[in-house]
Amino acid sequence: MPVTDPPLPQPDLLAAIPRLRRYARVLTGDSNRADDLVQEALARAWEKRRLWAAGSDLRAWLFTVMHNVFVNQRALARHEKLHVSLDAEGEGHEAWQIPVRAMQYTRVELIELTEHVGRLPVDQREVLLLAVVEELRYEEIAAVLGIPVGTVMSRLSRAREKLRNAFAEPGAGSSLKVVK
Amino acid sequence: MMNPLPITDADVNAYVDGQLAPSRAPAIEEALARDPALAARVADLRRQNATLHDAFDPWLEEPLPDRLIVAAAGAAPAGRRAAPKWLGITTAAAASLIVGIALGWFGRDFNLQREGTPTTFARQVALTHVLYASDVNRPVEIWAAEEKRLVNWLSKRLGFAVRAPDLNSLGFALVGGRLVAGNEMPTAMFVYENADKQRMTLQVRKHAHIGETAFRYAVEDGVGVYYWIEDNCGYALSGNLDRTQLLAIGRVVYGQLASLEAAASK
Repeated sequence: MPVTDPPLPQPDLLAAIPRLRRYARVLTGDSNRADDLVQEALARAWEKRRLWAAGSDLRAWLFTVMHNVFVNQRALARHEKLHVSLDAEGEGHEAWQIPVRAMQYTRVELIELTEHVGRLPVDQREVLLLAVVEELRYEEIAAVLGIPVGTVMSRLSRAREKLRNAFAEPGAGSSLKVVK
Repeated sequence: MMNPLPITDADVNAYVDGQLAPSRAPAIEEALARDPALAARVADLRRQNATLHDAFDPWLEEPLPDRLIVAAAGAAPAGRRAAPKWLGITTAAAASLIVGIALGWFGRDFNLQREGTPTTFARQVALTHVLYASDVNRPVEIWAAEEKRLVNWLSKRLGFAVRAPDLNSLGFALVGGRLVAGNEMPTAMFVYENADKQRMTLQVRKHAHIGETAFRYAVEDGVGVYYWIEDNCGYALSGNLDRTQLLAIGRVVYGQLASLEAAASK
């Protein structure tokens, strides 16, 4: 009976929410849909809590749960044509703006960067975020996304090169230069 | 000595992410020392990593919405699938009223787009002005210190050259600006402020061509809007200034933009 399943550790769960929200926002491109996704993922996590091996990394598992919810929602959305595809290379990422206190980079650079991230295909975007911003190990990312490690690596390389080229454009407001 | 295995993309990724197997470290260190292009690529990627953290880490500090705290407690409120839509609208409305930058950036799109009433250019200008500029304590998105970048970026996003006129002679200094999304056209917005802390905005966007240049004045929700449409561009000044003041400023702006335009086309 589900009642006998032990509860998920409350403090760890709460601590993971900001990271889940961030990842969800990067996936969906808008904050309301991101919170819908996180809410749904938390509900799924409770339903499926027996699948979490106590003692293992709760955060990585929550990312996995949320990834699956996201994939299902996208399939549904495509089916119902509810949402504009986020994978399009074009515009439509107005939500890619950031509540920043700028640090060593200027605000314009950061905004441009988030816009470029928003234009990456979603499968590259998620790998980039999990590897660079969440700093998960490649094997963990492969598990979260249900793909081979080699695919993680190739998506990561493609995402990085795209961002690098975008920032190497003349006038992109960056000191980066095209190498080679 | 045998040649080491060539450095792969996977090595480079692992190296910049701190996930390189220790056994590979000597090979990549050696390659970095003799290959400046590789060294530059690694430096670029490290900088990229740092910038991504700078861009996305502040999101972690946003306050959590109640509904997620409830969800984390394992409660599944009745009708949770229906709730998001209702919550979303409320949040958007509240955030744009209370200046919440965190949620506001999405909320404003909601408000401007789904007003329900057909919105004219002047009305959108007034709404945008009230939302972003009427409160002097509200920070602008990009400050005037980055004016050049701001102007370049806005020009790129709007698809034509945008300029921020210099209104210091009228006592108005440029504070900064932003891109406003959510209207049917992306709009560039410049915010000016005078010594009395009065704010005025210039908004620029593409607009359907209407033949000759037309100057109009309108009052929307108590906000004066002086606007004109020329060569497929709409320009609008707004602020809590009286009509004469706005018209006077409008003339200066129009004159400056026209002369900048003429200088640019030479």
